[in-house]
Amino acid sequence: MAKTTIYAGLEIGTHKICVVVGEAKRDGTIKILGVGQAPSRGVRKGEIVDFDKVQTCLNDALVRAEDRSDVMIRNVFLGVSGSHIESLNNRGAYRLPEGQTEVTEDDVEEAKEIARNVPIPQENVFLHSVTRQYVVDGQEAVRQPIGREGRLLEADYHIIHGVRSRIQNAIKCVREIPLEVEDVVFNPIAAAQVVLNRDAKNQGSLMIDLGAGTADYVLYEDGMISASGCVPLGGDHISQDLAMALQIPHSRAELVKIAEGSCLYEDVPEDEMLRIEDDNGFVLGEVERAFLNEVIHLRTREILDQVKKRCEQHIGRLAAGVYLTGGTSLLKGIDVVARDVFGMKVTRAGSAPVSGVTSTFENPQYSAPIGLIRYAQILDQEKPFLSPLKRLGRRMADLLSVTVA
Amino acid sequence: MVEYDRNTQQEPNKPALRTCIVGIGGAGSNVLDRITLDRTVDAHLVSMHTDIRVLSHAMAPNKIQLGADLMRGVGAGGDPDLGREAALFSRDEIRKSLEGYDIIFVCVGLGGGTGSGAAPVIAEIAKNTNALVFVTATMPFSFEGRRRLTQAEEALQLLQKRADALILFENNRMGELILPKDGIQKAFSQADQLIAQSLRAVSTIVSMPGLVKLGLDDLTSALSSSNGRCLFGFGEARGQNRGSEALKRALKSPLIDQGRLLHQTMTLLVHIAGGESLTLVEVDAIMKQLGKNVPDQTHILFGVAVDAKLNDAIAVTLISSLGLAQLNAQASAAPPVEMLQHRPAMPARSLASIITPEVAEALPAAAPAPAPAPVLAAVEPPMELFKAEEAPPPPVTAVTAPPPAIEESELFADSFPASQSIAAMADSTDYVEIEEVEISAETEAFSEPEYEAEPEAEYEPESEPAAPVAEQRPRHETRQEEDEAPAPRPTLASVVARGTPLSMDLDAPYAAPPSTVVAKKPVPTEQIAFRFGEDDRGRFKDTEPALVQGEDLDVPTWMRLKRKLRK
Repeated sequence: MAKTTIYAGLEIGTHKICVVVGEAKRDGTIKILGVGQAPSRGVRKGEIVDFDKVQTCLNDALVRAEDRSDVMIRNVFLGVSGSHIESLNNRGAYRLPEGQTEVTEDDVEEAKEIARNVPIPQENVFLHSVTRQYVVDGQEAVRQPIGREGRLLEADYHIIHGVRSRIQNAIKCVREIPLEVEDVVFNPIAAAQVVLNRDAKNQGSLMIDLGAGTADYVLYEDGMISASGCVPLGGDHISQDLAMALQIPHSRAELVKIAEGSCLYEDVPEDEMLRIEDDNGFVLGEVERAFLNEVIHLRTREILDQVKKRCEQHIGRLAAGVYLTGGTSLLKGIDVVARDVFGMKVTRAGSAPVSGVTSTFENPQYSAPIGLIRYAQILDQEKPFLSPLKRLGRRMADLLSVTVA
Repeated sequence: MVEYDRNTQQEPNKPALRTCIVGIGGAGSNVLDRITLDRTVDAHLVSMHTDIRVLSHAMAPNKIQLGADLMRGVGAGGDPDLGREAALFSRDEIRKSLEGYDIIFVCVGLGGGTGSGAAPVIAEIAKNTNALVFVTATMPFSFEGRRRLTQAEEALQLLQKRADALILFENNRMGELILPKDGIQKAFSQADQLIAQSLRAVSTIVSMPGLVKLGLDDLTSALSSSNGRCLFGFGEARGQNRGSEALKRALKSPLIDQGRLLHQTMTLLVHIAGGESLTLVEVDAIMKQLGKNVPDQTHILFGVAVDAKLNDAIAVTLISSLGLAQLNAQASAAPPVEMLQHRPAMPARSLASIITPEVAEALPAAAPAPAPAPVLAAVEPPMELFKAEEAPPPPVTAVTAPPPAIEESELFADSFPASQSIAAMADSTDYVEIEEVEISAETEAFSEPEYEAEPEAEYEPESEPAAPVAEQRPRHETRQEEDEAPAPRPTLASVVARGTPLSMDLDAPYAAPPSTVVAKKPVPTEQIAFRFGEDDRGRFKDTEPALVQGEDLDVPTWMRLKRKLRK
């Protein structure tokens, strides 16, 4: 059992493209072997708009990751995001056949099948279908129904789906590198695996991954995922607001936001001025710090408001509060704004400690790509052990089904 | 294989050359530290400095504190006159320590006080002891400023008269020795190392009896170009292909720029030293390889020596020089020192000298034209300028002024009643608004603080009538209006009230000739239809709009709020 597997997680973000190489050990721990990062071009609001640019940047990131980790990367877990991704909860009920009182594996499969069979728009495709719980004869929160006595088995599913062509495009972009995509993962699902611990999930928590292009969120209740989604607003919007308010270039606005920006404007003295310089260090002009912060504040509040609006019905039962991660969560004062919006405890968090490059997991920017490694590991653990012969059989079946389809 | 005869190495009847290396000032003692640590040169090492603290940390075995009584152990503080005084004060001590040597190397970093001031004095004393005097000097980094460069150049001229040979290094090019991310400490220590190497190489070349001897005359002719900077490359290698490896390393030196700079040189000194195993084939191969990097007409001064200390290594030294102008033309990557000289304003000059009559005249007239370079240069170091003034003006007045070009920001226009009154007042006074591209307007605005500081009376009358405009903070006005029409949220109102893109001091002192500008028309009072065009979406123009309840979230939040407020 000493076998370890090396996974690579790839996130094509709006601000950066990041490849994390990690070693998933059998004891459930992760060691980060290397991180390759390149600034991203040609991505807007979490979605690829310019293939060529993205591929150039992706190559950069990949080469760096391979260099640092000394691993040749062939397969990746691809994190995706975008406003087209939606989620819903569905329950599938299956009545056990007459004369049978004990739930068997086949019954569970059947129930799952029914639960998964939800109408989604035709152009959409399932990204994830996560089992939330099973209900046996009305008894909720059953984790393992096989072997239980009962008549009616229900499976509760959280289903995440997105537009097929857009997800395909992301995959295609990566395949042309060439890299094989092992699985496509919705970013916040991955990030939640390392940001939220078991307690936080059980007590109920909302994790918001505030990226440059999107704010992805996932909400856990009683250890089950109940809501997830993506608000197509992010740090880029903050910078853009600044750029347009101050009439300075976007890149400059980005720098000002990072260096001087804060979401808190009320305590700033009215006449405190901030000097804005251009690339050569010449002073472009001055701006009131309170004004700058207010522009940032308004947008930040709006982003959080939008997230709140989308998971309104689940909020109020979250004992562990809100977890903020992602690059934009580094913004000063954002926790105060979030506390104001959600009215509960707010924690800024990066990934939970994993071994390897320390600075990486502590930085909330890397939550999602590290989460991809963890996701891969969880997926691997859940996979039933198959003998090589069976595995071959599976593969053959896969091949056949492909040809049939 | 040709074996060299080792008997040539030491002739018992001839005493070895006595060498002395003097390090002056901070840079000099750093180089000496390097030489002391490396133990590469067999010489008497003397470190000289005015600052006792630096001197006490120096590792050289002999130290002289310059002007001990005069300076009381404090550095010259960047003043060459003090440095010179200090050296003259201690000249007896210096002479005593320099007496009885055949070759004296003086290494100094020019630009500072002790280095620039004391080095010429010490070089003269050294010359008077009848020794050969080599000066190894570094020119300051361009970021050290114009003043230090001038000091360095003055000192250089004095040194040129006194030294037998002058090896000059450009610190700017030293910067390329290291990776951009490396610290400044490393940059300096690498530079020290390179100078130490060159000292060692020169002393070896001159003092070592060679098979093909190179003398002082060769060295001076290699370094002879006027106002030249030294191109120096040194490479040492052992093992297989040691010859070509050593040459490759020598060419790699940034002072030679991968051999590119050698294309320009008229004279090149090549010295090859090796252990007893040095073969003629190797020497031949090195020279052939080098020939590819050097034009045919270049005069190559060639020397070979066998040094038992090198064992199985081969050392290749390349020395040449290139005029500063050529050097800069070649190496555009290096910060061009020449360009700095064109700028009329540098920190060290007083404010009065910056605003020369021509510049002052050129400024107002230049309104339609793109920003003239002198203006930018004048703006660049505002802090220094203020220091130069006796009574420093407030950095930049914290006055909220109308946006540089009001007609451009229609968004703000009607929520911004102050601008109207300003414009009205502008009509009555001399205040004029330029209808121009924002850039030029901004440029003018930058240079404003200097004009305020300008003591001449010329600008005073114009600045006075405009002063009330400057004081009239638009926010107050809007606040009043806000009271009349209750806003849904105070935060919205305050954002709108502060809807100035960048509050710039466009107001008071700037006055352009009437011929070049058009007086600002009052802003129309009726409301402009406010619509979200594609422009409002900024960089999200080509993306799918994020519509929530009829609102496009890609449009800046503050813009949407302002629109709501107006309804």
